[in-house]
Amino acid sequence: MNVGNWLALGGAAIVALAAVAALRRRITATASGRRFFRHPTAVPGLFAIAAPVVAPYPPYFQIDITNPDLPPSTQFLLGTDPYSRDVWSRLVYGARVSLGIGAVAMLVAATIGTAVGAVAGYFRRWVDTALMRLVDVGLAMPRIFVLLMAVALWEHIALWVLVLLIGLTGWFGTSRLVRAEVLSLRERDFVVAARAAGAGSGRVIFRHVLPNAAGPIIVSAALGIGNMMLLEAGLSFLGLGVPPPAPSWGNMIADGWHKMTVAWWASTFPGLAISLVVMAFNALGDALRDALDPRRAGEEGGEGGGAA
Amino acid sequence: MATWLVRRLAASIAIVFAVVTITFFVIHAAPGSPFLPAESQHLTPETLRRLSTEFGLDRSLPEQYLLFLRNVVRGNLGQSFALRRPVADALADAIPNTFTLALAALLIDFALGLALGIYQAVRAGRVGDVVSGNGALLVNSMPVFWLGLVLLLVFGQWLRWAPVGGLSNPVLCPRLDSPACGLDFLWHLTLPALTLGLVGAASTARYQRAAMLEVIRQDFVRTARAKGLRERRVLLVHALRNALLPVITLFGLAFPFLFTGAVLVETVFAWPGMGRLAVNAIFQRDYPVVTGAALLTSAMVVLGNLIADVLYAVADPRIRVRSETA
Repeated sequence: MNVGNWLALGGAAIVALAAVAALRRRITATASGRRFFRHPTAVPGLFAIAAPVVAPYPPYFQIDITNPDLPPSTQFLLGTDPYSRDVWSRLVYGARVSLGIGAVAMLVAATIGTAVGAVAGYFRRWVDTALMRLVDVGLAMPRIFVLLMAVALWEHIALWVLVLLIGLTGWFGTSRLVRAEVLSLRERDFVVAARAAGAGSGRVIFRHVLPNAAGPIIVSAALGIGNMMLLEAGLSFLGLGVPPPAPSWGNMIADGWHKMTVAWWASTFPGLAISLVVMAFNALGDALRDALDPRRAGEEGGEGGGAA
Repeated sequence: MATWLVRRLAASIAIVFAVVTITFFVIHAAPGSPFLPAESQHLTPETLRRLSTEFGLDRSLPEQYLLFLRNVVRGNLGQSFALRRPVADALADAIPNTFTLALAALLIDFALGLALGIYQAVRAGRVGDVVSGNGALLVNSMPVFWLGLVLLLVFGQWLRWAPVGGLSNPVLCPRLDSPACGLDFLWHLTLPALTLGLVGAASTARYQRAAMLEVIRQDFVRTARAKGLRERRVLLVHALRNALLPVITLFGLAFPFLFTGAVLVETVFAWPGMGRLAVNAIFQRDYPVVTGAALLTSAMVVLGNLIADVLYAVADPRIRVRSETA
């Protein structure tokens, strides 16, 4: 591992820890914040995402190609894969790829979903009807099918296009949620007052309506990252996701799949990593929902099933 | 209720129509053709032209689209390029397999999910609830195909309790009508259905727990208990009936999950269903099969939502009244 990578990892870890600490200070100041941190899996969930991890080998380094599939040992923590690469090292580097894809795709989806939902809910009438019919169609479209079509037909698609596509097919649910929220908010007195004071639609939406709808958007984003990651893993597994030598967790499962009977560790650990991180995000989403919605104090559960 | 149903039905058809149209244009807008690269297949220009004419690919796109629509309305989904047979036949072969898989998975999903959800609600906050709740959350977060691989490894390879894939065993089931075949088929169905069902059950349990908790606190449950009814009767008759309502929505949501999950699970278990057919067709640029599969899948999703809505209206009189007055 070179100096640049160490610096990047260390920097990311410090920023993440600082962010978590600041966030924690801010939200424990309120009763709802304390509720958030009572959630059993929320704290380890946050740290699983932020934790700095150390890779003993570069992710592409083939240790001894004549002697692959070594079982887990002290030298190779999680064994080596069929191409004789250290599974632990690839898992660590893969975390960046998989989490990065999940986060960026979710950002795209949340942005579009919020924009569409806000416009539909605020302007109502034909704008609402048109946009919501579009959402109906989007929700009826089998998502993995659309992505498969796009990736398989336009061969050698760039990674950023793939991420964009995952985001572009994932905003339909969020937009419905935001619309419902905006529909009720726009009738409230403070919004009416803002309008009466002469604020334009853009200002009312961005300064008055959306900040009050932030809770559900954040929750759906936290729950959505997990789904995005699962989708990426599924696509990579079918050979249509992240291009092969790069260590995404889905790729790693695909690499080890055909030799699973000989070297179970190569596919099992990346899958476990996905499961744990997605679980952390789901727990985070649940915890945020509990924290942001006082009516749900003391309960948990609710929507947010895992697709793909 | 009737006008509502008609309107919903019309909207559903419109949605399916839109999905099919989008699919048609996306797949035709993609670069490349089903017969490329011509050099590697040693096709002469004449052969290529003949194939294009045979499958109508030499016409303009709007023309192809209108032709396609006319055929669909007549129930003709076209001819598959790669399989050399009508798309409808290929789909008809694959659908029963996917349906059986989905049905078995749905059964496991709801049987296990409801039981677990009720158990968790009754034991809310205690060890059993916390452990099984976090376990369910973990299973719910697993990539479906990976769970399939792990189950295959453990039960197929290490313990050898279940076959490692396919529909049937040619030794146990030489002819489709032999008596052992049904059992053999069930045996092959177990792992794929369990894979899809477990992930679904984890999410169903989470909903059911929340719904049950809400109901258990209400007055009529206390009344039932005060009447001296047995706890089992209070929970399974009085509370469960009311807690089932929110879960009906899940039924509609389960359809898209089952179909996306099927794409991956069918690949892992070499299960010859719709998902595998569609994936192969996409790789081979088999346009008619892709559009046919998109038509069917979106129809299933929309139908699932429609059924959920109807069930909802049947189960909850309040909704029925509201939709009639509206």
